[in-house]
Amino acid sequence: MAGTIYEKYGGFKTVSRIVMAFYDKALDSDQIGDYFVDVDLSQLIDHQTKFISSLLGGPVSFSDDQLHRVHRQLEICHADFDEMVSLLAGTLVDHGMARDDVETVIGEIEARRKMIVSIGS
Amino acid sequence: MSIAEINEQLLRSIGVGVAIARMPGMEFIFYNEPFAKWFGEPVSGSTLTEVIEGLDQDNLASVLENGQPFNGEVQIKLKRRSLVIAVSISVTKNGFEPLLVVECQNITRVRELEGMIDSYSSMVERNTRQLEREKERVERLLLNLMPRSVYEEFKTFGVVTPQLYENVSVVMLDLIDFTKFAACTDPTVTLSELNDIFTAFDRIVEQFGCERIKTIGDAYLAVSGMPIATPDHARSVANCAVRFLRFLDRRNQSYQHKWQARIGLGTGSVVGSVVGIQKYVYDVFGPSVNMASRLQMMAEPMTIVAPTEMTYDLIDEFRLGDFGTHDIKGLGEMKLVTVASNFRSAKAV
Repeated sequence: MAGTIYEKYGGFKTVSRIVMAFYDKALDSDQIGDYFVDVDLSQLIDHQTKFISSLLGGPVSFSDDQLHRVHRQLEICHADFDEMVSLLAGTLVDHGMARDDVETVIGEIEARRKMIVSIGS
Repeated sequence: MSIAEINEQLLRSIGVGVAIARMPGMEFIFYNEPFAKWFGEPVSGSTLTEVIEGLDQDNLASVLENGQPFNGEVQIKLKRRSLVIAVSISVTKNGFEPLLVVECQNITRVRELEGMIDSYSSMVERNTRQLEREKERVERLLLNLMPRSVYEEFKTFGVVTPQLYENVSVVMLDLIDFTKFAACTDPTVTLSELNDIFTAFDRIVEQFGCERIKTIGDAYLAVSGMPIATPDHARSVANCAVRFLRFLDRRNQSYQHKWQARIGLGTGSVVGSVVGIQKYVYDVFGPSVNMASRLQMMAEPMTIVAPTEMTYDLIDEFRLGDFGTHDIKGLGEMKLVTVASNFRSAKAV
């Protein structure tokens, strides 16, 4: 895993901060905050930690199938997904990540749009 | 500003939620801003347990009766966020009036961080397990290439010192007409035949505490007496040799291709070492290896030839026959014997 963004920015130490900040932003967002209302706190943190770690090339990987299974009941639309991407990008920038790397991460997450968005065209 | 006013100001401004209620009835006398933010403004006449929902009332009552402080946790929802509030209630007295002091701390972050640590440890543990499995796989692979004791040395020191083993016996087997078979058969068939035969040989070798060193095409080389010395080395390789032939003999009865083999035994000293840096090969060198190889070439199909030095060790368990004196390249004149099993059903002589 040498050379991953995960390692470049200090591994879990940074990821944990990114996850916390992203989680706060997501909850405060009127667009997507409601998705998190009834979710168990520890489950959500667990999911976010693993998901963001995997996006950065850390020691977890989510299969497309897993992502699809978790999100298909939630009826997430493209606007929700766009909001999530923009919040995550903002959080990464806040934590000192270089533009190139942010773009790589966003590219990674965009590649999974189909697995997460379940309504709208 | 009086001390009492300062105290009240302090209670109002700190980040900890504070409330005071009368002990009988649990009606509020005071609450500060964080308390109201988390639990809502208590309406007049409302009680502590009505405002803080989810308090374990039985537990609270029994604790307060004994005068011990109560500690608990409640979950509240503030906008979309679930908060975990640690509630501590203790009894104090204002003159003769017993009062309940309620102290609330927002420990959501602590819980979130705990969740994160759990998540991280599960990731790390899973990775450790994966690494462990990978290590085992590598170990198994290396153990195919070298004996365990050599592997242990290699693992500890990163190198293997060539080692001389004084009393070792060697068995060398060669399949007859293998090249011809390989030339006119589909390579996958050739390989599967070879695989089948050598796997069976490996089992036999293991059963007699020998060590398979290598296969070179259709030749199979195993040793006994190294890396762990054994007084039975000659008998062990002879036991393997007669069973190799018996296996082939049995196999030939049911398989289409009838394999024949020659076997040579050798005895003496052997040097064992890992050769190469990038591509590790554990190999053995020495006169006994040459001996087994030369004698194998002289053997008639489905027979075993050994030097007379081995007679003493083999005579009780095997049928030995005179094979005369021969001049062996590199080894000089040698008296040789044939070795056969005492199995009644064996056809090989």
